[in-house]
Amino acid sequence: METGAVTDRTPDAVTDPVQVEAVVDRAAGAVVDRVTPRRGRPAQVGRPGRPVEPGPAVELTGVTKVFNPGRPDEVTALRGVDLTVGRGEFVSLIGPSGCGKSTLLRLVADLVPATGGTVRVADRSARQARRELAYGIAFQQAGLLDWRTVTRNVELPLELRGLSRRDRRTKAREMLDLVGLADFAGHYPDQLSGGMQQRVAIARALAVDPPLLLMDEPFGALDEMTRERLQDELLRICAGKGTSTVFVTHSIPEAVYLSDRVVVMSARPGRIVEIVDVALGERTEATRQSNAFFAGITRVRQALRGTSPEAPA
Amino acid sequence: MPGLGRGWRRRARVAVGTLGAVLLGGLLWEGYKAVGDPDGSTLFGVRLLPRADDAAMPHLGEILGRLTEPELAGGEPVGLVVLRAAGFTLRAVAVGFAVAVLVGGLLAVLMQRFRVAERGLLPYVVLSQTVPLIALAPVIAGWGGQLSIGSRPWQPWMSVAVIATYLAFFPIAVGLLRGLQSPAPIAEELMRSYAATWWHTLLKLRLPAARPYLFPALRLAGAAAVVGAVVGEISTGTRGGIGRLVVEYAREATTDPAKVYAALLGAALLGLVVAGAVGLAELLLTPGRRASTR
Ligand SMILES: Nc1ncnc2c1ncn2[C@@H]1O[C@H](COP(=O)(O)OP(=O)(O)OP(=O)(O)O)[C@@H](O)[C@H]1O
Ligand SMILES: [Mg+2]
Repeated sequence: METGAVTDRTPDAVTDPVQVEAVVDRAAGAVVDRVTPRRGRPAQVGRPGRPVEPGPAVELTGVTKVFNPGRPDEVTALRGVDLTVGRGEFVSLIGPSGCGKSTLLRLVADLVPATGGTVRVADRSARQARRELAYGIAFQQAGLLDWRTVTRNVELPLELRGLSRRDRRTKAREMLDLVGLADFAGHYPDQLSGGMQQRVAIARALAVDPPLLLMDEPFGALDEMTRERLQDELLRICAGKGTSTVFVTHSIPEAVYLSDRVVVMSARPGRIVEIVDVALGERTEATRQSNAFFAGITRVRQALRGTSPEAPA
Repeated sequence: MPGLGRGWRRRARVAVGTLGAVLLGGLLWEGYKAVGDPDGSTLFGVRLLPRADDAAMPHLGEILGRLTEPELAGGEPVGLVVLRAAGFTLRAVAVGFAVAVLVGGLLAVLMQRFRVAERGLLPYVVLSQTVPLIALAPVIAGWGGQLSIGSRPWQPWMSVAVIATYLAFFPIAVGLLRGLQSPAPIAEELMRSYAATWWHTLLKLRLPAARPYLFPALRLAGAAAVVGAVVGEISTGTRGGIGRLVVEYAREATTDPAKVYAALLGAALLGLVVAGAVGLAELLLTPGRRASTR
């Protein structure tokens, strides 16, 4: 019953012609732009020419996460989760609050250990992948260091990778332009609004050109216009560099617009109830008004309806 | 630049505030002398307020004037003697404080790094402060007498410095430990996601985050180092410093009360020098905006 509802497919299994095209496009981009920084060596930011590696970007098999096992406050955050994210694929996680979306992301990031099952990232253990700087992450809260200016916050991961001062400045500048905060480069985090802080955190996550991007409700605190602009920027970056992305959101339109596949989750215990294939192909002005877009929204909404506690199953 | 202007205005405010505080202190002193009972106020045999006569509380003018007059007939002015003694004690304070920063800092880092160390060491760190200094000083002086640094023999002021360290390392160890543990879990996870080494996490996250805890701890430690050095000099019988001077002048308190207070001014001066050094360090180590808006 639980696994029957799951339609877990890797991109090469798709049959929809529009989607096939999109996948091929991404794969081509990936061949040119794949970035895999190695520990101890400066990351080659945006350098083309790395070969694409085999295997999926993320592979979860039978993953279970129990917090505080054996104690009165024991919580089963995730149970029996199987999910594969292909290279260059954009996958969104959506589901009611507390269903374990952030937990799933943190498992992939090797910030919490799984209680059961296996988590593999780029054909390695999650731990090995983290040590090899295989991903960039933007948390649900901005998590900026409040004694560093906006620029120096964005520079932090570059600093740790040993980039020269000039390269760091250039890259941070570029990223702040991207999120529309160039004028605030010298400000401190507590001088920014919540949405601005969130954008700094996005810039920080993107600065290292990670092959895998983990984003937890990054656009939650933004106004609609900024949100749409950043969605398009994110898609452009991910397509251009062949970045694989796991993206958590509470917005159905956002999930549908951005994703190749939308993973719908249910709470207590957190598990995957359905995976909806969308793939809108090349996004244009018209995409947000297209029938395919609305059809996707309807399908995700229907899948979500089954997860909400108050609705009849 | 408006930022710079604000910085100077703030500094001016601090200066006026400091001056005001000194004036207020002086006014309270003289005011109490004017209205207080020369024999002190007692209630049911318990003295509530101190004597206000000239022997217990000389006039401020008299104390300041005493600084310029000779110590004994034909000797050097008291001010010069006090300054020289303060200089002597300052060496023990500075060395003791520096070693305390080192020892306290290392202890804090060690305790942050290893939970076992925190559980094992912290009780002893706290316990160390309950040993009475009076009992400890002769022991330290005794040990020192059997030591030598290279070819140079141990000197009495070094024992004094050790006592200053003993008092000063405690607030640093406890305060810095608290500060090193202060970063939010999300910030620690961020460093973990960068696969940052322990050392990098210390440099880029923990130490900067510890600053708001460290500087108040350093101020406490500075005061403790001064107290430790002065009391250390007295209880080890070390000559040449403020502690010795206070004891000597106190013997003449009945005939020359202003002199005791002149010596105490020297101890206060030491405290000011240490507080100033910590303040300067804070100014240099804190990002500009913060220093000018707080
Ligand atoms: N560190 C933790 N210790 C104990 N329980 C936790 C911890 N982190 C998460 N949980 C529990 O795991 C469950 C899933 O939490 P998670 O943060 O993954 O939800 P979420 O889907 O991200 O929710 P939201 O949409 O509100 O962000 C919750 O019931 C939560 O109480
Ligand atoms: Mg969450």
